[in-house]
Amino acid sequence: MRKTPFLFLLPALILLILFVIGPTLFTLYMSFIDWTGKAKGFVGLKNYIEIFSRKSIINLEKPPLSPPPRGALIHNALWILIHVPLSTVLGLVLAVLLRNVKGGTIAKSMIFIGMVTPMVVGGIILRFIYDEHAGIVNAILRTAGLGWIARTWTAYPDTALFSLILGSVWIWTGFCMVVYSAGLETIPDELIEAAKVDGATSFQIFRHIIVPLLKPATIVVVTMSVLWVLKVFDIVYVTTLGGPGGASTVLAFEMYMDAFFRIPANYGTAAAIASLLTLITLGFAVYVIRLMVR
Amino acid sequence: MSAEKKILTNLIVSFIIGLLVGAALGVYLIAPLLAPPPPAAPVELTVFSLWGGAEEENFLKCLKAFEEETGIKVKHVHQTTEGLMVGVPSQFAAGKSVADVIIAPWPAWIRSLAKEGHLMEVTDLIDPTKYPKDYIDLVTVDGKIYAAPFKAWAKPGFWYKKSFFEKHGLKPPKTWDEFLDLLEKLKNIPGIEAPIASGDGVGWPLSDITEAFIINRGSPDLQVKLINGEITFTDPEVRKVFEELTDLIKKGYFSTPDEWTAQIDKLWNEKYGIYFMGNWMTVMPQVKDVNDLGFFPFPEAKGVVAGGDWVIIPKYTEHPEEAKKLLQFLAGPKGQEIMVKQGGFLGTHADVPAEAYKPADKAVVDFIKTVKVVPDLDDAIGGDFQLTFWDQLKLLWVDPGALDSVLETLKDSHLKTLGKE
Repeated sequence: MRKTPFLFLLPALILLILFVIGPTLFTLYMSFIDWTGKAKGFVGLKNYIEIFSRKSIINLEKPPLSPPPRGALIHNALWILIHVPLSTVLGLVLAVLLRNVKGGTIAKSMIFIGMVTPMVVGGIILRFIYDEHAGIVNAILRTAGLGWIARTWTAYPDTALFSLILGSVWIWTGFCMVVYSAGLETIPDELIEAAKVDGATSFQIFRHIIVPLLKPATIVVVTMSVLWVLKVFDIVYVTTLGGPGGASTVLAFEMYMDAFFRIPANYGTAAAIASLLTLITLGFAVYVIRLMVR
Repeated sequence: MSAEKKILTNLIVSFIIGLLVGAALGVYLIAPLLAPPPPAAPVELTVFSLWGGAEEENFLKCLKAFEEETGIKVKHVHQTTEGLMVGVPSQFAAGKSVADVIIAPWPAWIRSLAKEGHLMEVTDLIDPTKYPKDYIDLVTVDGKIYAAPFKAWAKPGFWYKKSFFEKHGLKPPKTWDEFLDLLEKLKNIPGIEAPIASGDGVGWPLSDITEAFIINRGSPDLQVKLINGEITFTDPEVRKVFEELTDLIKKGYFSTPDEWTAQIDKLWNEKYGIYFMGNWMTVMPQVKDVNDLGFFPFPEAKGVVAGGDWVIIPKYTEHPEEAKKLLQFLAGPKGQEIMVKQGGFLGTHADVPAEAYKPADKAVVDFIKTVKVVPDLDDAIGGDFQLTFWDQLKLLWVDPGALDSVLETLKDSHLKTLGKE
C-alpha cells in the first residue's frame, strides 16, 4: 500500500511538528508581536527594525578594522571567519599527523576530551587559562620572555572576543580531527602507495590525493563548525557575559538577555533575533546540502 | 442457530458484559467518594533565595523556628542571581511557580513582576509603619504593597585583613589623603597584585564601589538625582566623580576584575590590601577568621548605600494561606531577631531589639546612623540600565581611556530605562 511508508513516518513527524516545527513557527509569530512583559499585539517588522538599530547587534559607526565591540552580528561573522578555517585546518593536520602513529589513538582521545567537556565547564576552564596570574597562557608568555604582555585576556575589550574564539577552537578541534580521521580510513592505501612509486612527495600526496578525497568529510566539518559558531552562547555567557562593554557579545547571547534578563523581558525582540539566527543557519545549511548533492 | 437467535444471544452477552463492566467502573469511581477522605498530605512550602553557605545555614535555623511554631514544613532552594532573575519570570510567564515564597533583593524587579500581575498583594499582611518608609515605597505599585521587607544590608566601606595591616604598619585611613597614602603604600608592598580588589561575576561589585564614589566624592543627593533621572551620567558633577575614579584606575590601584568570591580568597592570601563590600562580608566562608577581618568606612563618608531583601508571594502558589504565614513570620520581629542574632544580618522591623546584634553588625548599624542612607542606584532603576551599568564599568576598569564613551553609553541606557529619552 502506498500509505504504509507515511504511516511509518507519522510518529517521527508528529514529534517533529510538536517539538521543532511548532516552536519555530511560534517563535516566528512572536517576532511580529509586541511582547514586552505580556503579549500586546501585532507590530509588523518593528522588532526587526529595533534589533537592527541597536549598536549591540550591529555597530556600523566603528571603522572596519577597529577592535570590538562591533555588534553581535559582526562578532558572529568574525567567529565564522576565524573559528571555522582554524578548527578545520587544525583538525585535518592533526588527523593526518596522528594517522598510523604509535600512540596516536591516545593523543586523539586527549584532543577529543575538549569536545566531550560541557561548554559551561569549558568556559570556566577558559577563565583560568586566560587569567593574568594563574593562567597557563600567561605562564607560557612569561617563560618565552613576553611577560610584559601578560594580562587577563578575557577582561579586555580588544582581546575578549578573540580569546573566546581561540578557546572554542581548542574545544572544537577534537570533533574536526575525529571526522577527518574517519575520512582518512576510507582512502585506499594503494592510491598513496602508487603515488609514492610515481615519486610524489608527502606534500604532493597530501595536496593532490588526501585533500580532494576528504571533500565529503570537509563538508561535514565546515557545516557543523558554522552551525556550532552561529549558535555559540554558553562559552560567552560563562566566560565574559558578552563584555566588557559588549566586546564579546553574540546573537544568541543578545537573544537570551532580551528574553530572560531584561526587565521587562522583551520576548518580541528575542524572537526576532532567534528568527534571524534561524534564517542565517537555514540559508547556510541549504547551501551546503546543495553543494553535497552536486 | 438461526441468524436472529445469534443476534439475540450476542445482544444478551454484550448486555451482561456491559453491565459487569459498568458495575466495576461504578465501584471504582464511586467507592473513593463514599470512603472517608485520606488524611491531607502535610503542606510543604518551597522558598527561593540567593543565600548559600553560611547565610543559608542561618536562614534554615529561622525556617526551623517557623516550622516548630506553625507545623508547616518549609524547603529552601538556593538560587543563583541568574537563576532567580531569569528562571522565576519564565515560570510566571507560563502561569506557574515552583516557589511559594521568594526572597529577592531587587525592588525594580519586584515592581515589574507586580505590574505584570504575577504577585500577591501583601498590604494587609504587614504593618508598614514598622519598617523604614523607603523599604515600603520601593515595593509599592499604585498604592498597593507587593513585598515585605525582611533583611536590610549596607555597603559601608572597605574590608581588610588586620594581621596583614599590622605586619606592614598600616592604619585604616580617616581622610581622603590618608586613603590615597594607604593605596600608594599597599602598591609598593612586594607580592601585592593591586591595592584594591575588584569583584566581578555578574557585575554588581564594581557598581557598588562606583556608587560609593558617587555618594562620597560627589554627594548622596547626586545618587538620588541619578535614581530619579533628574540628572544623567554626562552631568559635570557626575563626570567629575568618574574622572577621580578613573585616575585611581589609571594609577593601578584597582585589580583587574575577577569573580567576587575568588577575590575574597586573594584578599585573605594577601594579594590585595582592601576590598569594598557589603556587611555580608562577615559571613563569607572565604574569610578564614572573622576576628582578623577589619573594616573602615569610605573616607570622609557622607552617605551609604543600603538595600534589602524582600519577601514576595507568587500569585500562582498552591498554598497561599501557608505562604502568607511564612511571609508574616519572616517580616516580623521574631523571624528577624533569629537572623540578627546569628550575625551578618540587619533587621528591617522596628521591634527587633538592638541588643540582638553582634558587635560587627552593631558597628555597621551605628555607622549608618551617622550618614545619609540612599538606595542602590542600579537595583532601584533596574532593567536594561542595570546590565549596561555593570558591563560598562567592567570596560572602564580595564580601559579607563574609554571614559567618554562609557558615560555616553550609560547616559543613553539611563534615560531609556527611565523613559526620559
